[in-house]
Amino acid sequence: ASSPPKYIGIAPEDEKYYKSSESIKCKDGSKKFSKTQLNDNFCDCPDGTDEPGTSACPNGRFYCRNAGHVPLVLYSSRVNDGICDCCDGSDEYDDKVKCPNTCWEAGKVARDKLTRKIATFQEGVAIRKQEVERAKEAIAKDEMELSKLQNEEKTLRVLVQQLKEHKEQIDKAEEKERLQKEKEEKEKKEAEEKSKIAEEAKQENVEGVEKANDEAETISKDDDNIGLIEDSPLDQDAVNDHDDLDAEVEHDDASTNGRSSVHGVEQHTTQEIEESSATSETGTDVGSKVSTDKVTDTTPVNQSDAARVRKEYDESSAKLSKIQSRISSLTQKQKHDFGVDKEFYSFYGQCFESKESKYVYKVCPYKQASQVDGHSTTRLGQWDKFEDSYRVMIFSNGDKCWNGPDRSLKVKLRCGLKNEITDVDEPSRCEYVALLSTPVLCVEEKLKELQHKLDLMNKEQPQNHDEL
Amino acid sequence: WKKDEFRNCNQTPFCKRARNRKPGTCALVAHDVTLLDGELTAKLLPKENYESPDQVHDQDQSKPLILSLSVYQDGIVRLKIDEDPKLDPPKKRFEVPDVILPDFAQKKLWLQKLSKEDDSSVIYLSDGYEAVLRHEPLEVYVREKGGKRRVISLNSHGLFDFEQLKVKKEGEEWEERFRGHTDTRPYGPQSISFDVSFYDADFVYGIPEHASSLALKPTRGPGVEESEPYRLFNLDVFEYIHDSPFGLYGSIPFMISHGKSHGTSGFFWLNSAEMQIDVLGSGWDAESGISLPSSQSRIDTFWMSEAGIVDTFFFVGPGPKDVVSQYTSVTGRPAMPQLFATAYHQCRWNYRDEEDVENVDSKFDEHDIPYDVLWLDIEHTDGKRYFTWDRVLFPHPEEMQRKLAAKGRHMVTIVDPHIKRDDSYFLHKETSQKGYYVKDASGNDFDGWCWPGSSSYPDMLNPEIRSWWGEKFTFENYVGSTPSFLRGLDPQSKRCKAFTLSSFHLFLVVFLYVCLCVDTSSRLIYVVPHLVEVSMPRDALHLGGVEHREVHNAYGYYFHMATSNGLVKRGDGKDRPFVLSRAFFAGSQRYGAVWTGDNTADWDQLRVSVPMILTLGLTGMSFSGADVGGFFGNPEPELLVRWYQIGAYYPFFRAHAHHDTKRREPWLFGERNTELIRDAIHMRYMLLPYFYTLFREANTSGVPVARPLWMEFPSDEVTFRNDEAFMVGNSLLVQGIYTERVKHTSVYLPGKESWYDLKTGAVYKGGMTHKLEVSEESVPAFQKAGTIIPRKDRFRRSSTQMVNDPYTLVIALNSSQKAEGELYVDDGKSFSFEQGAYIHRRFVFSDGKLTSLNVASNAPGRAQFSSECLIERIILLGHSAGPKTALIEPENKNVEIETGPLLLKSKRGSGFITIRKPNVPVAGDWTIKIL
Repeated sequence: ASSPPKYIGIAPEDEKYYKSSESIKCKDGSKKFSKTQLNDNFCDCPDGTDEPGTSACPNGRFYCRNAGHVPLVLYSSRVNDGICDCCDGSDEYDDKVKCPNTCWEAGKVARDKLTRKIATFQEGVAIRKQEVERAKEAIAKDEMELSKLQNEEKTLRVLVQQLKEHKEQIDKAEEKERLQKEKEEKEKKEAEEKSKIAEEAKQENVEGVEKANDEAETISKDDDNIGLIEDSPLDQDAVNDHDDLDAEVEHDDASTNGRSSVHGVEQHTTQEIEESSATSETGTDVGSKVSTDKVTDTTPVNQSDAARVRKEYDESSAKLSKIQSRISSLTQKQKHDFGVDKEFYSFYGQCFESKESKYVYKVCPYKQASQVDGHSTTRLGQWDKFEDSYRVMIFSNGDKCWNGPDRSLKVKLRCGLKNEITDVDEPSRCEYVALLSTPVLCVEEKLKELQHKLDLMNKEQPQNHDEL
Repeated sequence: WKKDEFRNCNQTPFCKRARNRKPGTCALVAHDVTLLDGELTAKLLPKENYESPDQVHDQDQSKPLILSLSVYQDGIVRLKIDEDPKLDPPKKRFEVPDVILPDFAQKKLWLQKLSKEDDSSVIYLSDGYEAVLRHEPLEVYVREKGGKRRVISLNSHGLFDFEQLKVKKEGEEWEERFRGHTDTRPYGPQSISFDVSFYDADFVYGIPEHASSLALKPTRGPGVEESEPYRLFNLDVFEYIHDSPFGLYGSIPFMISHGKSHGTSGFFWLNSAEMQIDVLGSGWDAESGISLPSSQSRIDTFWMSEAGIVDTFFFVGPGPKDVVSQYTSVTGRPAMPQLFATAYHQCRWNYRDEEDVENVDSKFDEHDIPYDVLWLDIEHTDGKRYFTWDRVLFPHPEEMQRKLAAKGRHMVTIVDPHIKRDDSYFLHKETSQKGYYVKDASGNDFDGWCWPGSSSYPDMLNPEIRSWWGEKFTFENYVGSTPSFLRGLDPQSKRCKAFTLSSFHLFLVVFLYVCLCVDTSSRLIYVVPHLVEVSMPRDALHLGGVEHREVHNAYGYYFHMATSNGLVKRGDGKDRPFVLSRAFFAGSQRYGAVWTGDNTADWDQLRVSVPMILTLGLTGMSFSGADVGGFFGNPEPELLVRWYQIGAYYPFFRAHAHHDTKRREPWLFGERNTELIRDAIHMRYMLLPYFYTLFREANTSGVPVARPLWMEFPSDEVTFRNDEAFMVGNSLLVQGIYTERVKHTSVYLPGKESWYDLKTGAVYKGGMTHKLEVSEESVPAFQKAGTIIPRKDRFRRSSTQMVNDPYTLVIALNSSQKAEGELYVDDGKSFSFEQGAYIHRRFVFSDGKLTSLNVASNAPGRAQFSSECLIERIILLGHSAGPKTALIEPENKNVEIETGPLLLKSKRGSGFITIRKPNVPVAGDWTIKIL
């Protein structure tokens, strides 16, 4: 075999280490070797220090300069194995194979590719900056809205409390009156025919409900009002964002029911109007509506005053719960992790879609991911977290796979000019991987790194070019 | 495991009947004993029939049976008993063709003399042994000359029974039913059973395939609870369990006995019908009143088969290696694999598409883990039409294979034995037009469900069909396969559990037999009509009216044969084929490798893989392995690592995984586990020269690569039941770690000589059990003192790039400062080694001098193989420190001696005497003297 140059496989920055003296230390400090043992094709250092240019040490590394392209560090197992690994062919020097120098062509391809990548990054970095700015504004706006709402809520809560007390007084008075009246009527009735007793009793039962129906009308008006109030801070938001909020508001309403024990009847009615739900209570409600007209004129005293208080109370408490739900959804949103620069703020409430053969993949950050095939939807996972320094989004606990794990999706993020899913794959059963290109990943530091890399490549270039 | 889907002995009428028979009921007597054509022949008739031939009641059972006893070189007796063809039986009973080597007949010894002795006839068997036929009661046995000790006997307990074919009588019920299937049994009962005794035996071994211990446990007798015999019936058993006599994918009706006082003997019954074998626990016959010579201890066994004839072989040993060699002189030596096939294989059901293949391939490089073969399972085909490609997933199969080939790697694709019944599929069209399918009982193509759905099965019993099948593998016929890089087939269908026709063994065993359907969309395993026990019905018909019941256990064998021969043709007779099968039969070793089928990722199955592989090796199937990691389920990283660590010593080393499991390529479990797995695989690559030498030893002698300890230490009783450790060749002992998170383990190191830890060089005394600390880095492995192991210490992408790399010799000196070892090298691919193109050296160290001797034949005209490889390093274990120089002769050159590590990669174990760069040619004669 032809003997290789003594210093083959050594990175330029290491040459000094090898040339400085006759006795060289293994880098792991385990022993020393003489200069004649350097690259003598016999492994002396466990870490391979003495054989940078041969395959003798299993832990060795071979450096190829690859002028015209980028330098490469290989496992020593690649040296003289008959396969050209370095584009300059330096890893194959035992004449078993001929490795042509392809660094110039390969380098050009790589440089062009890198140049294109840098261009993307440059543009992407700018977009990302805007994105971060926009996120800041959005956050500020959301925070402002939140604090405004919190103040409003405080005031409103006091008001509602007052109204509630007032209303209860009226209720009590009315009740008293009613009892009184009842008593009178009872006496009257007792005096009258016994057979009518049953009918009257029915009327009494329905009475409470009648009020509820009155109130229902006013509440639907309140709804409009609150909608207006909400619209003003919100109208700049993205449309789908708004949709989301609506969904959450509904949800919150439902949960508020449980908490505030104000007026069972009224709450039920509200629910009924908003959801037209067919709960078991509905039967009673419907029954009461039928008899409403009849009952109305039996209510005697303080009518206008009582109605006003009630209406005010209903309006205010509905408004309060709207505000509370908005507060809660804003608070929820802010709990999420939007990245170091909050650069993912705009991902909240967005979905990205991609069509791969017969499936449509829908990825909604902070929410969930799914695979849609015609009318059937399979959940690939619920939002879980970011991983790998915000370069990967994890969706986990999706639908169960038969004989397999629960489905999950890993979304790898790449720098790109648009938010766009470029690939979806299922490398392991029911474990999906998607690629999402987004300007958010076009980070300045990475751009600098790429530019530096290109500079290095270009530096090598003219020299190599001359040789050619 | 769905126990109910498979028959037990009680549900199998012939087995139930046979088991109920009492000792001493055989009334046959040998008459007309004479020598004919160099063999002993006799007629067997029941005693009363002979004495009063006029009062025969049962005409059918009274016809005489013909017995012949012949003798072959090296201590082999063959006993055949069949119906007399001259008496016009309803049908010729099936004799399994093409299993016995054609040249075996030439080893027959022409008997000259028959000695009579009391009521027995005695014939010569070999120096030291005689075969004896006792006339009444009938018994055949082998004994040491002069009648001193018996070795093996047949019918000593009078359990012999032979159901002769007869004409059906009015009202007789021959049909048998099982789980809604009816077996028409048109020929009625035809089973055979008999007892076989092994003398001076402590244990019996063999008769794969069962997931159970190496030493066979008694199946009947006092204290045996679960009384099922060992079943030999090739089946694809879905999720088999780890301790059961239940028959799995392959069958080899060959049993070996071993005992401290006599040694080893063997018994082989060439019969491919369903067989059931009882190992009778001592005291099983307490009530029979028969007493055998009591001076010898004995293990009795009871053999039952549904059909066929008695064609049995007695092997006298006396050593374990002798018996294996005798058995493989009848059924063939294991094929010599290509070098790449002995390296690491990466498989998964399924590498999905070309991109997946490319990724996996490049990840191996990225992590510096060598591998030689990437496998594609059934999903690579167009709708499970074998020999085709799914062109969406694999649009450029040639290009894909070329890319692997450029790194010296290979690709193996699967071909299963079931053919999709689809008129647009060329293979089905051709097979059905030619009438090549196995027929059902009514004469139509048998249609059994497997992976592709409705499928039929070529009749591989027919040599013409085998040869036609072989043609399907030519480059012209197998489109998308490339010239030298597709070498394999997994013939048994792996997957399908389809039918079993007795197992096909081609890749997955499964094949044929029942399809458990494997569709992942439903957990139902439906037994498709037509498939009984996941197998072809027993009354299905093969060539010449042979019923499937008669050939079941050999069906996969014929597939293996046809495929292997096809690959030889494909390579123009130049390339050694590589065919992995799940199904197997006696003789499968000539055609390729087998694996233990669809195991599960748990510790028990890791443990049982070792006795399973050792049993296969004992019965000729040297080239075998278990799926590393476990096929079903997801192994914990620790289990996976432990599996790689022991799997690296399996003769066949392949990782495989079910479709529904998580990905488990070596780099997916964190850096530390990647490193551990890399080390395990590196260990195999480092030892490839040693392994390859052992494969050659198996190829010439039948002695397996992986051996039970007692094969190397036959007089050490402690080893007889040990199946957690094994020997790789005669030099290495390894033991798996079969338990989670253990800190310590006990390892028994046999023999008088010491043992050296393979990683650290630490020395341990032989003949005792050592309690060892267990590290996560490796399983316990030791080199025996007195041996020399050749290694290649440079790691490459695959074995292909290691060809020119230099060798390291590790010399472990024994107490007399001596050691010996061998190295075999050839081109790793072709058949030219058969013409002598190889290097075979013996290294002998004694008197402070290492000598390299040629042990290859020097026949004139022998083909040549040369190698420029050098020996770069010689490590001496057990040598006292001090010497600084060695002298190489004949060059008369001095080289340095220094202290060095045993393993270059290991941080532990250094300070061993190392001859630095002797650079002597591996092919040359030389000596190196320590000065």
